[in-house]
Amino acid sequence: MNALRPVWVVFAKDVRIELRRRESLASMAFFGALVLVILSLAVGGGRRVAPETGAGILWVAVLFASVLGLGRVFAREKEDGCVSALLVSPLSPGALFAAKALVNFALMAAAEVVLVPLFYVLFGRGLAGNPLPLLPVIVLVNGGFSAAGTLLSAVAAGTRRNEVLLPILLYPLLLPVIVLAVRATGGVLAGGGLAAAAEHLSTLAAFCVIYAAAGALLFPFAVREG
Amino acid sequence: MTLVPKPREFPVSAAAAAVLLPVAVGLVFFYAPVERTMGVVQKIFYVHLALALTAFWSFGVSAVAGIGYLVRRDPLWDARSATAVELGVVLTTLVLVTGSLWGRPIWNTWWTWDPRLTTSLILWFIYAACLILRASVDDPTRRATFSAVMAIAGFVDVPIVFLSARLMRSIHPTVIRSDSVGLEPAMIATLVVCLAAVFALWLALFRVRCGLHRQEAALDAVDARLDRAGA
Repeated sequence: MNALRPVWVVFAKDVRIELRRRESLASMAFFGALVLVILSLAVGGGRRVAPETGAGILWVAVLFASVLGLGRVFAREKEDGCVSALLVSPLSPGALFAAKALVNFALMAAAEVVLVPLFYVLFGRGLAGNPLPLLPVIVLVNGGFSAAGTLLSAVAAGTRRNEVLLPILLYPLLLPVIVLAVRATGGVLAGGGLAAAAEHLSTLAAFCVIYAAAGALLFPFAVREG
Repeated sequence: MTLVPKPREFPVSAAAAAVLLPVAVGLVFFYAPVERTMGVVQKIFYVHLALALTAFWSFGVSAVAGIGYLVRRDPLWDARSATAVELGVVLTTLVLVTGSLWGRPIWNTWWTWDPRLTTSLILWFIYAACLILRASVDDPTRRATFSAVMAIAGFVDVPIVFLSARLMRSIHPTVIRSDSVGLEPAMIATLVVCLAAVFALWLALFRVRCGLHRQEAALDAVDARLDRAGA
């Protein structure tokens, strides 16, 4: 239990900052909503979309919005050299990685609370089925995005072009996740229920595990260099 | 102050590539038989497969060299990792181009979302991003660490890329299976020589480019020393 305490302290600190200023969450939800509206207009404004296309639209909005929050999670620590302070504290770099990934997971989840209902408002016509089986897909995609994203945000934050570089580095790694998430979500939106998503969940979980491990091992190198 | 050692006067790999590449081209055009249904277009396969295997090998080398750098902190490993990424991206570009050239007459399309095409394209994007990352960092130690992290993070994605790409409908020919090789003996011989030629070329380019990376680093170090002395 003691090992989890530093993770909790950093996580609580970041959540407190976010609750007071609401800068990341507001921009993520706003930008995600904007992407959904743009895509709704791009497919012809209110026309019915096929379940697989709808799944693609939902994930484009969520992943584009999430990268905004992800960049801030780490860039905030770079200002005034807070990273150095965190590194000389008794906190292990692995715990810092876990805390930052959790913060990002929470931000993504909060943005999705806005974006998924909005998606149903704009594109819900013609989509069948109960949206509840989307939950495990969303949790696993958030996990994978947060693990890979936290590692790469430490890399991008150490360069001159943080905001530009982060999506360039992160999205290629996420391409297989996008394939899997769209397939699973498309199945659920077509009315397939949990069974339609189930076959892709193990691969998505494998992605989470791989990047959680790779992140815990590689993050210390990246963050010390930043 | 360490100067980069002069490369050996007679690079064996370069000599091997210089001999094998023309031989391979000769075999492809004059020795390998013309395939019955695809005709002469099929001949691009020898080059395509050789490039694809060497490209994948190159990405593997970059990840291993990345681990080498993080463990040893020796700039030599960074030069190796960077070189392998560069060669891998060039080779994968050629794989995608040769594949498209073959796909247009045979599949009637330049591109399709087949598992192997998807995998190659995703790997191309991951490692091209590595090159962009390298170009955006000035400090050599920081650049080396970040590049190593990205090369490793890219390579551990490969199993997931494979699994996700399997969802695509495959129309790609599987020439070499675990139990049989669907090729004439003359075709196999041509393929083996092509593979050896491309691999020898990879080795030669790897040596030259690696040396170049190290010379650049040595030059930068001299530059920095001169700056300090002048200031």
